[in-house]
Amino acid sequence: MITESLLLTIALAPLVGAIIAGLFGRQVGRAGAHTVTILGVAVSTALSLYVLKLIALDGHPDVNLSVYTWFEIGSIKAEVGFLVDPLTAVMMSVVTSVSLMVHIYTIGYMHEDPGYQRFFAYISLFTFSMLMLVMSNNFMQLFFGWEAVGLVSYLLIGFWYKRPTAIFANLKAFLVNRVGDFGFLLGIGLVLAYLGSLDYATVFQKAPELVGQTFNPWGTVEWAVPTLICLLLFVGAMGKSAQVPLHVWLPDSMEGPTPISALIHAATMVTAGIFMVARMSPLYELSEVALSTILVIGSITALFMGFIGIVQNDIKRVVAYSTLSQLGYMTVALGASAYSAAIFHLMTHAFFKALLFLGAGSVIIAMHHEQDLRRMGGLRKYMPITFATAWIGTLALMGFPGTSGFYSKDAILYAVGAADRPGATFAYVCLMIGVAVTAFYSFRMLYLAFHGQERFGHDDHGHGHDDHHGHDDHGHGHGDHKPHETPWVVTLPLILLAIPSLAIGYFTAGPLLFGDFFGSAIHLAEGREPLAAMAEHFGHGPLAFALHGFVTAPVWLALAGAGLATYIYLFNPALADKAKSALAPIHRLLERKYGFDELYQAVFAKGSVLLGRVFWRAGDQTVIDGLMVNGSAALVDRFAHAVRRLQSGFLYHYAFMMILGLIVIVGAFALLK
Amino acid sequence: MIENWSSLIPLLPEVFLLGMICVILIAGLYIDEKRRGIIHFLAILTLALTAVLTLRHFAVGQRYTALGGMFVRDGVGDILKLFVYLSTAIVFVYAKHWLRANKLFSPEFYVLALFAVLGMCILISGGNLLTIYLGLELMALSSYAMVALNRDSPVAAESAMKYFVLGALASGLLLYGMSILYGLTGSLDITLIAKALESGRQPEVAVAFAVVFVVVGIGFKFGAVPFHMWVPDVYHGAPTAVTLFLASAPKLAAVGMAFRLLAEGLEPMVKDWAQMLGFLAMMSLVVGNLAAIAQTNLKRMLAYSTISHVGFILLGILAGSEQGYAAAMFYAITYALMTTAAFGMIIALSHSGFEAERIEDFKGLNQRQPWLAFLMLLVMASLGGFPPLVGFFSKLYVLQAAINAGWLWLAIVAVVMAVVGAYYYLRVIKVMYFDEPDREHQIQAPGDVRVVLAANGLLQLFLTLFVGSLTALCVAAWQ
Amino acid sequence: MPIETILFFALSTVLVIAAGAVVTLRNPVHAAMCLVLTFFTSSMLWVLLRAEFLAIALVLVYVGAVMVLFLFVVMMLDINTTPLREGFARYLPVGLLIAAIMAAQMIAVLGTQHFGFDRYAAPAAVVEGSNTEALGRLLYTQYVYPFEIAAVILLVAIVAAIALTHRRREGVKTQDPGKQTMVTKAERLRVVKVGSESKEGRGA
Repeated sequence: MITESLLLTIALAPLVGAIIAGLFGRQVGRAGAHTVTILGVAVSTALSLYVLKLIALDGHPDVNLSVYTWFEIGSIKAEVGFLVDPLTAVMMSVVTSVSLMVHIYTIGYMHEDPGYQRFFAYISLFTFSMLMLVMSNNFMQLFFGWEAVGLVSYLLIGFWYKRPTAIFANLKAFLVNRVGDFGFLLGIGLVLAYLGSLDYATVFQKAPELVGQTFNPWGTVEWAVPTLICLLLFVGAMGKSAQVPLHVWLPDSMEGPTPISALIHAATMVTAGIFMVARMSPLYELSEVALSTILVIGSITALFMGFIGIVQNDIKRVVAYSTLSQLGYMTVALGASAYSAAIFHLMTHAFFKALLFLGAGSVIIAMHHEQDLRRMGGLRKYMPITFATAWIGTLALMGFPGTSGFYSKDAILYAVGAADRPGATFAYVCLMIGVAVTAFYSFRMLYLAFHGQERFGHDDHGHGHDDHHGHDDHGHGHGDHKPHETPWVVTLPLILLAIPSLAIGYFTAGPLLFGDFFGSAIHLAEGREPLAAMAEHFGHGPLAFALHGFVTAPVWLALAGAGLATYIYLFNPALADKAKSALAPIHRLLERKYGFDELYQAVFAKGSVLLGRVFWRAGDQTVIDGLMVNGSAALVDRFAHAVRRLQSGFLYHYAFMMILGLIVIVGAFALLK
Repeated sequence: MIENWSSLIPLLPEVFLLGMICVILIAGLYIDEKRRGIIHFLAILTLALTAVLTLRHFAVGQRYTALGGMFVRDGVGDILKLFVYLSTAIVFVYAKHWLRANKLFSPEFYVLALFAVLGMCILISGGNLLTIYLGLELMALSSYAMVALNRDSPVAAESAMKYFVLGALASGLLLYGMSILYGLTGSLDITLIAKALESGRQPEVAVAFAVVFVVVGIGFKFGAVPFHMWVPDVYHGAPTAVTLFLASAPKLAAVGMAFRLLAEGLEPMVKDWAQMLGFLAMMSLVVGNLAAIAQTNLKRMLAYSTISHVGFILLGILAGSEQGYAAAMFYAITYALMTTAAFGMIIALSHSGFEAERIEDFKGLNQRQPWLAFLMLLVMASLGGFPPLVGFFSKLYVLQAAINAGWLWLAIVAVVMAVVGAYYYLRVIKVMYFDEPDREHQIQAPGDVRVVLAANGLLQLFLTLFVGSLTALCVAAWQ
Repeated sequence: MPIETILFFALSTVLVIAAGAVVTLRNPVHAAMCLVLTFFTSSMLWVLLRAEFLAIALVLVYVGAVMVLFLFVVMMLDINTTPLREGFARYLPVGLLIAAIMAAQMIAVLGTQHFGFDRYAAPAAVVEGSNTEALGRLLYTQYVYPFEIAAVILLVAIVAAIALTHRRREGVKTQDPGKQTMVTKAERLRVVKVGSESKEGRGA
């Protein structure tokens, strides 16, 4: 049975851990802090898996309960409530299990950091917030969870607050997310305005009423309400899930410690947008326009962010761009109405991307916080476990038949191929090219880090380091330059994550994609069967499907990308430089990340400074300062002076005022009314 | 005639309270100065036990009357009384420290305060013009004496004098209004008056005339403009411990008085008194907020801020609906809890020979006492109505009730003035966090003051979580 | 015209004039005496209404006790009244204006048009026999609750008066007859042994 107390335990256990580690960090010490937080998350994980089992295997009905009514204003109810259906159960399990791995891993990664307890408090707090977000049964709680994960993400990006780059990055994340959240809030506001409720069940039930309603902002302009709501909500998702053009914060968020990059900026928080859209499927199914927009934005992100991954030299940034690109895949799946495929990819991606990030982190530890791929190479001798798991992660990412990534990515490709809404063809082409690009940059990273010549230890530290390579040089002595395998607290999570990266697709693809697993959690418009094409081939089971994969285009594209990387980085390294000079303009474009940062800097940052100055001169100084502030200040001043004079201290003045007041009231309200 | 003693059971809390006051009064004669702590303890115990007795026959959703309708127990009254006890108990904890430091620690303070509480209970439970008036006088007389308690302070004596004379004037006006009502309806009983007025046989002008005087009496107790003149002087002049008391519990009693007289007795005249309260509310909001900006003395600033909060409470009452009454009640309750914390902070920072009553005295508090500064931040932000603190919700409910009742323009005035008001609360926060300290912040407050202060400050945050239940209680009181 | 009406108007005229004199006379003693007259005439009015208990109580309490005390205080303190009257002329016009407006308002509402006998029947004579007895009966039955509250208010007044005026002053010499009579020999008498003076000492 899924009871209220069970769900409360799941949500609150990490919060308790966070409070203990955060407020009493000094008292409980380092070991105490990591013990309580890990314990809290472990409890959540175990119970989440239990809930998943009940829902998925035992056919437990969906649970929708309201735990606490915060306040009620008129018809608006602000409640804390839980909605547990298959979608939630999957998300809960993914969030808690990845979080647990990251908690364990953090013991090794942060063991020298002075902010050890603070870090554990943050990640536990994050787990709590994320659980509240996914378990919510209403928009209010969703929004609070949404903001809470954003807040913790902001705190964690700036965890090393003494580093100016970290502060810049967290400010950037904050500002960009503000843009997204603004849209999100407007969307929620519209839902409330048109449907009169914040409760999911009520909203989804009433959603069909929206069709045909229009909103006219001014004059004769009319917007379809469902499209407007969906697009505004999606703006929120774009911010959180880093879709072009609101993606710029995610690569910079790598300034945070690596466990955070794995947990928040790869596996869980950034997928909140995907989850949200899937959760809102009854709304999105009402608007073709919104779905098409999502499709196009997703495919642009998927392909073009992949390209940037090719030219990055910072190991974490390569993974970050790959995350962006994979988020694009999920978004495309949403745009193609293949919500279950999106969630499926979200799940597999959470495991293999967390694995890759933690693997990268393991390398970074071994390299004494060196992140530049050009200074690595040949690490496979020194760190076999990391090496093996990194291979597994890479194979899953490129979608090698049989791995989890293969099933989820193929599902998306099939769905997009079958979709017929505007933009679907463009999306299909982008994704296909994207497959090759993904394989190329992942293998490039793999080879540069683990294979080839050992390039570390040749030159002294500090040379050629620019800001974002000069990561985190606290603690480690640099005497011993030989890398070594990391301790078990680091490798254990790698192994535990490698297993689902390999196998989870094999076991879950069938039920998740083709069974009626999600039930009513995901709503499809009449007659839509995005995964029908894939179902045909899947009929013979996952193994046969994997074998069939070898005769389909995506796998060959992936293998081609991988092969090219193998040729260039393993056998003919000189070719890379040659290609770089031959394609110099493109390379420069990619290095500059298409100039988004510069554009925003020039247009928004400078523009708003300029605008601010104009307003300051014209508005502030003359109108506001001159007339309103100084004017009203003078008014207030005069008024206060008058009051002070009335407040003379003389009793008869006071009595006189009372009588005067009495007379006025008698005159105005009794006699002359 | 009392035929049946059990009909007096609803009166039990008040009877018990009176008995304990007499016990404390006599005990005070025999307990020497070193052991005055016993009196303090007894007084708090009395409040606690009275609360228990009130809870035993908790009247939410019910209505008992006793003594021929002169005494009424209902949900509204019981909830208000419980919070009167609570805020008075908090006041006692803070006051002890201050009274000790200023050598005013005497049983009289406790006795008079408890007498005032008794007066409030009688007032809140009054079902008859006579008992309402007597309850009011009992409360007022005790308050006058408390203000003058520091005999060596000419300022205190002066403000007590003003309070007394103006209070007498207001009482006279109220009594005059009551007498006209009696003349018109032939009854002193609230429900009978309402019934008589319902018939509409009385000349409208005469009733409205009587209503004006009743409203003036209520306005004076609240300290609504233009009957507010006593508020700043009394708040400033009275011993801080007394100001603390005057600022909290009597506001709840005033709400009870307004409910009994206006919402019950003059219910058929709601159109008339709502207009008058609208005038008072508008004036209070404007004058209170604007005048508070110009203050440098924290006690005076809080006095003007009280006036502006009264504007909000009146805004709820004048809505004339159950929603409005519940909102006003919620506002008064939360306000009483906020204001005790604000004055408690002044007391916590004061020590013998020094009174932290100027805003400058809080300069740089964050550097020396970050925890206290944080609590003050919570209290100021809650008074200013910043979300997510409870002060925000109380304003929200009141505004909503007023708008639903068609008082949109007044709600707009209220919001604009709340924004203006935010300025002076923020100034305190700014002074604490951004100014350099220019003196040592000696904290001599004992443990109990610190604990209660922390609880009281954090309440602003925690009450937010229980806003729903508390408002549900306030609404239930009206059904 | 019945005798009651003539008496009523005569007494009322005296009352109003006396009340006016209370606030206008310069000499506080004269003002106090006028107040006595005011009370007295109003108690006469009570008698006219056959409320003899109230009439007697008014005379006994106010004239007999309060005013006498008041006169004592006025005479003992010798208040210089000139500063109190400084603003009188200045505020008089405003005060008169406000008073006139207020009076107009009251007349507009409280005349016989709203409170005449055509609207409200004259109250029947409720009391048979002693006024005092009837009052006492009411006070201890129907109005026992307000009566008790009034008692509590008086208690508060006592407490307040004592708290505000009674204090133990340092350095004030007072006699305590109780202590004086309870005194024992041991407290007052001390026998001191004085040794006989040595002659050698004096000689030196």
